[in-house]
Amino acid sequence: MKTRFTKALIALLAIGTLAACGNNQTSSETPSGTPSETPEANPLAGTYDVKVWAAEAITELTTTQIAEFEAANPGIVINETVQAVGEGEAATQMVNDVESGADIFCFAQDQFARLVQAGALTKLGQKTAATVSERNDAGSVNAVTSEGNLFAYPLTSDNGYFMYYDKSVVAENHVDSLEDIIADCEAANRLFSFELEGSAWYAASFFFATGCKSEWTADSEGKFTSVYDTFNSANGLVAVKGMQKLVTSKAYNNSSATSEFTAATPSAVVVSGTWDYATAAAALGDNLGVADLPSFTVDGNSYHLGSYAGFKLLGVRPTTDAKRAAVLQQLALYLTDAKCQEQRFDSNAWGPSNKDVQAMDKVKANPALAALQAQSAHSTPQGQIHGSWWDIGKAIATGVKAATSDAELQTVLDTYKAAVDGVLAMPDEVRNAWTVIGAINGTTWNTDFEMTEVETGVWKTKEAYTLTAGTEFKVRQGLSWDKAWPAANFVVEADGTYYIVLTLDAEGNGTVTLEAA
Amino acid sequence: MRKYSDLEYLKLPKHKRLLYKIAVFFTSIPTKIKNFGLKVYNYIKKIVLGIKDFFVNIVMTFIKGDYKTKISYVIMGFGNITRGQIIRGVFFFVFEAIFIFYMITTGGKWLSLLPSLGLQGPEEVYDETLDTFVTVYHDNSFKILLYGVLTLFFVIAFIYTWYINIKQNRIAEQILATGKKIKSDKDDLHSMVDDQFHKTLLALPITGIVIFTVFPMVFMILVAFTNYSAEFNGFSKLFTWVGWENFNKLFTFGTGVNSLSATFGEVLTWTLIWAFFATFSNYFLGMLVAIMINKKGIRFKKLWRTVLVMTIAIPQFISLLYVSKMFSKSGLVNGMLQSLGWIDTAIPFWENKTLARVMVIVINIWIGIPYLMLIASGILMNIPQDLYESAKIDGANAFKQYTKITLPYMLFVTGPYLLTSFISNMNNFNVIYLLTTGNPTNPNATSSAGSVGFTDLLVTWLFKITTGAESQYYLASVIGIMIFIVVSVISLIVYSLMPSTRNEEDFQ
Amino acid sequence: MNTSSLNEMSNDTYMKRKHHMGMKAKGRISNTIIYAILILMSIIWLIPFIFIVLQSFHTELAADGVTRVTWQVGYVWPKKWGFDNYIDLFTKTSFPKWYLNTFIMALFTAIFQTLFVLFMSYTLSRLRFKGRKALMKFMLILGMFPGMLTMIIMYNVLKMIGPGDYGLTGANAVPGLILTYVASSGMGYYVSKGFFDTIPKSLDEAARVDGATRAQVLYKIILPLSKPIVIYTILTAFMAPWGDFVFARYVSNLSDAGMNVAVGLNSWLNKDQISGKYTLFCAGGVIVAIPVTILFLCLQKYYVEGVTGGAVKG
Repeated sequence: MKTRFTKALIALLAIGTLAACGNNQTSSETPSGTPSETPEANPLAGTYDVKVWAAEAITELTTTQIAEFEAANPGIVINETVQAVGEGEAATQMVNDVESGADIFCFAQDQFARLVQAGALTKLGQKTAATVSERNDAGSVNAVTSEGNLFAYPLTSDNGYFMYYDKSVVAENHVDSLEDIIADCEAANRLFSFELEGSAWYAASFFFATGCKSEWTADSEGKFTSVYDTFNSANGLVAVKGMQKLVTSKAYNNSSATSEFTAATPSAVVVSGTWDYATAAAALGDNLGVADLPSFTVDGNSYHLGSYAGFKLLGVRPTTDAKRAAVLQQLALYLTDAKCQEQRFDSNAWGPSNKDVQAMDKVKANPALAALQAQSAHSTPQGQIHGSWWDIGKAIATGVKAATSDAELQTVLDTYKAAVDGVLAMPDEVRNAWTVIGAINGTTWNTDFEMTEVETGVWKTKEAYTLTAGTEFKVRQGLSWDKAWPAANFVVEADGTYYIVLTLDAEGNGTVTLEAA
Repeated sequence: MRKYSDLEYLKLPKHKRLLYKIAVFFTSIPTKIKNFGLKVYNYIKKIVLGIKDFFVNIVMTFIKGDYKTKISYVIMGFGNITRGQIIRGVFFFVFEAIFIFYMITTGGKWLSLLPSLGLQGPEEVYDETLDTFVTVYHDNSFKILLYGVLTLFFVIAFIYTWYINIKQNRIAEQILATGKKIKSDKDDLHSMVDDQFHKTLLALPITGIVIFTVFPMVFMILVAFTNYSAEFNGFSKLFTWVGWENFNKLFTFGTGVNSLSATFGEVLTWTLIWAFFATFSNYFLGMLVAIMINKKGIRFKKLWRTVLVMTIAIPQFISLLYVSKMFSKSGLVNGMLQSLGWIDTAIPFWENKTLARVMVIVINIWIGIPYLMLIASGILMNIPQDLYESAKIDGANAFKQYTKITLPYMLFVTGPYLLTSFISNMNNFNVIYLLTTGNPTNPNATSSAGSVGFTDLLVTWLFKITTGAESQYYLASVIGIMIFIVVSVISLIVYSLMPSTRNEEDFQ
Repeated sequence: MNTSSLNEMSNDTYMKRKHHMGMKAKGRISNTIIYAILILMSIIWLIPFIFIVLQSFHTELAADGVTRVTWQVGYVWPKKWGFDNYIDLFTKTSFPKWYLNTFIMALFTAIFQTLFVLFMSYTLSRLRFKGRKALMKFMLILGMFPGMLTMIIMYNVLKMIGPGDYGLTGANAVPGLILTYVASSGMGYYVSKGFFDTIPKSLDEAARVDGATRAQVLYKIILPLSKPIVIYTILTAFMAPWGDFVFARYVSNLSDAGMNVAVGLNSWLNKDQISGKYTLFCAGGVIVAIPVTILFLCLQKYYVEGVTGGAVKG
């Protein structure tokens, strides 16, 4: 009943808006610009209740910015409720219940795919999408893109990590070497805080250093279809050897909070991001050093620690009302545009994703952003990553800490790899197996019949089937249509009882034949 | 095996009594199984007969009944009203009217969608003028399941009420046939505070339990047979029935790290270990503290008690979170130990598997002793003092007195409490979640089903599954059902082992 | 751990010396040891709370000389004392709102839950009717199902029964939470049923002979005798909402208007808030703990009677 009512409402509103705005002006083009020539004709005029979830640090600023948006768009009145909700928490809450979630909410990039999948993000309109793509840096645009569509607005381009350190402990000429830093910390009985056990986001640093990759591909609905993961490799083994140096040190502390600098056993190094700059600066005062991550040495080779280059994003919840959707879209665009990004930089030192703001001198001069910039040579753009990977990845460091030999390190990687393969919910034996599907045995292209590999590259059905002339079928792998032979359906020529046989050549091309029983 | 008479049994020494009891328990297992089978058989027979009676009653009442009764089959409460029971009649009639109205307007739709859990998901529509996407929602599997099950509840309630309505007609006819009067409205009202007082008192609490406990549970059990998760959330993508697939997944899917049954076994083992230590450490230490405080000659009894109960009074999320921070690697405890020079390197209280497990048990003592101290104090005062006097005369020392008198008495009186506290410790979410959130991570169990830690109990694991990246509600439901099975099996075993379940009437 | 090892020691000492000393001296020594244990225990029990209180008074400035230290620090004794954390708590955060919410929840939950529990336990203890045993067994089985699971559904039921799109969730979470706490509370009848079971039935029967209805028996005879258990029920019901940080979080949907203190304060220890809110968390914790603790300590006597009765009767 509700939906029918809403549909009628949408229809009415659509007619209303068409009638009201013959001049087809879309103020989304000029979000912070001058009010339209005839403000009283603003098609979006009205009062809107908007619930906003933003990080604690910017709630006040966001309220001010929304007021500025109202001033720039006469006729639009926003009754906002801005609430301090952490980025991780916001995503979880949105996934739990999209209907009751916030209209506009901030979240970190790692939650993007999950939110798209849960239907918690509205696709950006084509013009708005073009504007966003044009004004923000390429990485951030990529971060909000899924299968060619934009689903969110880049808020910052600083979601990476680097190193804060205490100059009185870590010697200036030691900051490039992980081993030296660890030695300095141990000597001074201070800790080295790196949240390797609590977060895969940080743990990946060592793997990126040695060139390992974990790349996931998702379809347009946010569902992951494949993964290219090389953590379990010779390079991966080097990475965990490097990681072992830190996690088995007595200085190692599993944390990423800069308040560790003043803890009971204070840290001398904290690996964290720009958002912690203020606390770090306050806690250490003049002793604060900021630098890119160090390098570690394994078997004589040096590897510079990598990092994720990630982004903080702003999302808009789907709505059923076109006018409201348009207002929310404009507001989100406004909040992530140059002016607001600059304000956030001024107040909280959040690194902008907007290219114009990035080019400003004051932004370039910020020490945290400078360190991030230095680290960027070794960073990996954070693409779309399956949510479960964050859980699986953080278990590596715990395993590495307990390992006592190279063989055990290898076991950690094997376990990791097995868990990653398990994510796409299909065991290897199913993914690699060939099956027959078609109008056979009384089924209508809805049942797969098992085959067994009788010799390398030759697969044969377990049973013989009675097939009539003209029956069509195909042989496919992993229950998907990515690999299926023959290209056109196989057509049975004469009635009979047959085994179906698939022969694969060296290139992986398959030939289907029938073998009389 | 020889059976002892009561007298012979009492003459046996302590350890032989225990052996005897254990032997009796095991030899009685076949009989117990047989009895259980008989019970189930009788129960099923009763249900079948009940159903038969139900239909026979309906048909016979219709055939034998007068026109008032017959009309009541269609218009509920007609018989009551025409026979002068206005309140009952109006109640029946209004209930029927609401039911029919509900079924026609919405209920029917939900029921018809229940087998499929929805046909069409939401779609996005592009509005070119405003350059925006608008979402048009159609079916929502979650709502269909929710309202569908509620409607089923309603239908069952209606059938029951309809049956009562018929039964009342029959009874009224029978009473009138003997020439007596049937109950008037006044009688009905009076019986609500007298003969039928239990119905008045239970109406609200039971309604609450049905809506907020029974219904959610039925729903969650049904979820175990769907693929409801973050991906198929019923809102952006419909979910459907999958039969027993989830149960199969728990027991067969995957090997090594992906084996859910191995993970389940691992978590269950730790849950049982934890529940055992948490229960008994608190039990014995709490008792000792109570004995110390209640010892003759110890002063400031009230002060000691008051200090200890602080951990009950202060909300756990404050005390446990703070303690958890205190014991972190860079926390106050490590800092103090280092500055005192007692340790050189910080102790990884929460990072080491064994240490973390010991820590949660130890800190649980801090939280749990006070309860036991209070309970034990109360019970200890009830132990007849002459028992101790005669023991003293026999030359028993304090330790002997404890093992011979105090402990047996305590165990006897608090037997059922031990069981309930064991079970509530199995589900002790707060202590684990606030102290460690299940950490340190178990690399050999952390898979796509979410992270699993060495201190995770089944409940915290369940919580992680529902709130984790994949939000696999269906899996959580399956595990919930498993927890239920484990808990009920333990309860059954313990109950049958317990010396004698005391009769509730004994005390009155 | 400390207590148990010390205790063993006390027994050992006791055994060794028993032949050499007179009764009085023996008693004095064992008492001394007991005092030592109790004092040590008291210290362990109180230290975390003392630390929280001390930490809430921290007002010192950080190394940069400008920022006030609001994060966790490695010492307990404040370098500079002040009420800044408390002032910030009431002027700059939503804490007062949360506090009021929780208080309202606690108050109403205490009233209604007590009624529900008393109705349930009185009926099951004193009245005999068809299906009584079955009902008790059913509730016992129901209690074995992990309640954690039903959170999502209860949330949706609340969303459904209230006004507007959000129902009794989000900003309206206060009535919603009261409803959920109260609705299922009938299942926690065990303790008070155990109490009612100990009141002699002859009292009821005498009154019934005199013509009293069952309702009159309840409020004229049973209730006056049940003061301890009523107070116990009120006390436990009142304390529960202060500590609920899981379900309340789910229902309030992170809306300030519907949050309780546990959800709010808990969120301050999240990674992104802890450095700015840690000392405020301590101050908030103190403000929450004070009334609950005072109430608890005042009514301790009844609580003891309640838990003891409940454990004995199980």
